[in-house]
Amino acid sequence: MIKFVLRRFLELLLALFLIATATFFLTAAAPGDPLLSRTLALPEASRDAMYAKYGLDKPVLERYVITMKGMLHGDFGESVVYQGQTLQTILRDKLPVSARLGLQQLIFGVLVGLLLGVIAAVKRETWIDRCIVVFAVLMMSVPELVLGLIFQKYFAGTLKLLPVIGWPTGKDLWFGGWKYTILPTLSGGLLYIATYSRLLKTSILDVLDQDYILTARSKGLSEPRIVWSHIMRNSMIPIVTRLPVTLAMCLTGSFMIEKIFAIPGIAAYFVEAVSANDLSIVLGETVFLAALFITVIFLTDILYTIVDPRIRIQGGKR
Amino acid sequence: MAQAKNTAEALRPEDFVILRERSAPSDLLVREPVGYWKDAWRRLRRNKVAMTSLVVLGLFLIMIIIGPYLRGYDYITAAPQYKNADMSAQFWLGADALGRDLFSRLWVGTRVSFVIAIVCTAVQVVVGCLYGSVMAYFGGIVDEIMMRILEVITAIPSLLITILIMIALGNSAFSLLVALCIASWCPTARVVRGQIMQLRESEYVMAAEAMGERPMRIILRHLLPNIMGILILDVATSIPGYIFQEAGLSFIGLGLQTPAISLGLLISNGQAVMNSHVNQLIFPAAVLCIMVLAFNLLGDGLRNALDPKFRK
Amino acid sequence: MDNLLEIKGLRVSYHTYQGEVQSVRGVDLEIGQEESVALVGESGCGKSVTGKSILRLIQAPGEILPGSQITFDGRDVLSLSKKELRAYRGGQASIIFQDALAALNPTMTVGRQIMENLLYHRKIGKREARAEAIRLLGEVGIPNPEKRVDQYPHEFSGGMRQRVMIAIAFACQPQLLIADEPTTALDVTIQAQIIKLLKQLQRENHTSILMITHDLGVVASIAQRIFVMYSGVIVERGSSDDIFYRPRHPYTRALLQAVPRMDQEGKQELNSIEGTPPDLIAPPEGCPFASRCKYAMPVCARLAPEVTDFGGGHRCACWLYHEMAPRVAELNDPDAAPAGEEVGQ
Repeated sequence: MIKFVLRRFLELLLALFLIATATFFLTAAAPGDPLLSRTLALPEASRDAMYAKYGLDKPVLERYVITMKGMLHGDFGESVVYQGQTLQTILRDKLPVSARLGLQQLIFGVLVGLLLGVIAAVKRETWIDRCIVVFAVLMMSVPELVLGLIFQKYFAGTLKLLPVIGWPTGKDLWFGGWKYTILPTLSGGLLYIATYSRLLKTSILDVLDQDYILTARSKGLSEPRIVWSHIMRNSMIPIVTRLPVTLAMCLTGSFMIEKIFAIPGIAAYFVEAVSANDLSIVLGETVFLAALFITVIFLTDILYTIVDPRIRIQGGKR
Repeated sequence: MAQAKNTAEALRPEDFVILRERSAPSDLLVREPVGYWKDAWRRLRRNKVAMTSLVVLGLFLIMIIIGPYLRGYDYITAAPQYKNADMSAQFWLGADALGRDLFSRLWVGTRVSFVIAIVCTAVQVVVGCLYGSVMAYFGGIVDEIMMRILEVITAIPSLLITILIMIALGNSAFSLLVALCIASWCPTARVVRGQIMQLRESEYVMAAEAMGERPMRIILRHLLPNIMGILILDVATSIPGYIFQEAGLSFIGLGLQTPAISLGLLISNGQAVMNSHVNQLIFPAAVLCIMVLAFNLLGDGLRNALDPKFRK
Repeated sequence: MDNLLEIKGLRVSYHTYQGEVQSVRGVDLEIGQEESVALVGESGCGKSVTGKSILRLIQAPGEILPGSQITFDGRDVLSLSKKELRAYRGGQASIIFQDALAALNPTMTVGRQIMENLLYHRKIGKREARAEAIRLLGEVGIPNPEKRVDQYPHEFSGGMRQRVMIAIAFACQPQLLIADEPTTALDVTIQAQIIKLLKQLQRENHTSILMITHDLGVVASIAQRIFVMYSGVIVERGSSDDIFYRPRHPYTRALLQAVPRMDQEGKQELNSIEGTPPDLIAPPEGCPFASRCKYAMPVCARLAPEVTDFGGGHRCACWLYHEMAPRVAELNDPDAAPAGEEVGQ
């Protein structure tokens, strides 16, 4: 087990290094000069000083080494576009916003999804099941982009029930301004409802087909007991192992939703940074998000071995 | 015990002669065995939802070929006199902010989105199959290294890769293709590898190998036909994903950019005027949703038709 | 003595999209107290379905058709209330399956799976139940039961898993054990051990056993009476000796010839039965074996065979024993030349 964890951890570091390298060169190769608009009106000397400040006067390879060295100390460099901002200050401002949105979507979507999944499995082949199936397929077929726009137009625009755009900040950052969060949460959460209800229903039906359910019945156990310790426990395995990835995706924000509802989260900022060619921030955010993602996958692997005793770890290989 | 209530007179002596030549009564009693593909196709055809989806997709296919030319308008050049025209006999779905016929533009956009999705899916399947086959066939250290590469690629959120590629290559249809495909083949490669690992243990592949056939030939000739079902399903379920991604990227300004036309761009343009001219948002969004819905339903139907578990 | 279990006219159908599959088409069977009975037949003949019906384990799309009768210890199993059914399952009758790995919950330790039974049926505390589970594991021959009790099914070998299943089945000293192909997935040496274990536990617990198998070799050492099932019906029944030494039905005889025997001379070839069993969606009107039978007559395809009683509970459903039928020497005289030689008139 220790060998397995250690090995996966080293792989994690290697992956991060590769990602950082690839990102650096991809952004360096990007056409366009990030300082062009800011330095256009400046005299020659101060322009050179600007380029020197961000290290953009040096050759690519030298910049690469400097950047990587800085990264080891958590220094990704200053934002080219917004003076004085670094990755840390941006994450501090933006991450909570995206995290709240993501968590609300996740909790709402997964809970309702699981509930619907159980109902569909229990009432399979009835009209209730069919309604849930149809709803899930519909929700999977309408992108959150379209859903967000439609909600915004009708619930906020036409009916004026809820604000069109905006997001609680300041003291309301975590537990206030709920009315701003309803539409963004719905737009993103419906997809999770669809995914998780389908996932759980399939999983339950799969488990119901297994011989051990027959064994449990042949023991004369009560129905709640069979459902709880035999059916649910086994059918939750795919759910539990999928949750972390969903969580990571939620935390890193939703690009479309943040754009539609003008939510000041990290995804919206990432797009902004990309458009403005803000190299150090793009690099920093990519590495940060990738690190989050990889760590979550790493934890999922370990979680897998806990919830499913069948997965044995032998010499570091699953 | 099987009961028999027969009247004695029903029995005649000629009934009691042992027929040593048993001429085919057994064949008459056993139903004709049905081949896998024939059976799958039969099951798919019985599935009304899937068949409807197939018809809808067929109609879409026709429309993306002929749709842009039906009305005979120039859908590229601006015509300010028709700016944001409403729906009418002249402009069936209205005109956009530059006065261009939305009906024609809608089908051009659908065509672009569809072609992008198809090309990406093709790349995904071909690369995934090749990568997976090579991994599975050679095994050992080759498999190990290729698997690590695959793991690193899957570790990065795919949207990030896509965006980074878009930055490096600039906004164009080609860079969008590259960006969408760059990581998408990984799951396919894994599945193909898994399937081949299982199949290569089978006797007929060993027999082929023993008869001196070359590795790649065996993979292509014997193994790939076996995973056709999985690949067909993979195709049906991947296309909606690409359509979504193109729309989303174009919408946030990182995919295609005007003057290109795609569903994502049309939706993005529609959003700008959605309070006054909702038709410009609704129609592209509806086409996107119906197309994806049809693919999803077809995918479900295919899953049921191709999975032997459902064969009862 | 009264029979422990009596089945009369059992019919079970599966409703599939192709039509109604008539898996069991009128089976009569009875098992006495502490008796071992075998139900033998090819896969798909309905023997497992019969076994599961006894515990009412048939699930949708399957259905035990009305008119079927299952009586256990004088009680009508098919009309038991939910509560009575639960006490009956696991308490008075239990079942073990062919594939023990699939039949054990992969995410629960074997100890807890045994304890579940004890906790519900014997109303004892957790601590006691655990001690009892360890004792049971030891009894079924699992070494180191104190340690093994906390392990998961995948950590056991095939034979050991089947022993765990047996421990679960015997946990509440049932009056009836249904053993559905308990040894099919195992090596021959392990098969013998499992059979020996079953016999020993049967003696100690005074249990009746219904052994369901396709392997006549397994049956020989355990069963007192044998029922031969084909295509949803019982074609022949009788004592073990009757079936092995005086088989009457051509199908039984063909089955016996398909079993490798130590006393066979030289290199006599193993016979397999040609053809496939009939389709149970549209079962034939006459004898189901007619299409594969060497001795098929026109009447066989037309009418279901009458049952002939040979005395001592040996009965066979075959037209060959009708007074109008020709007499087949090898079916009437077990020492005659093997089937396929000459047919007497």
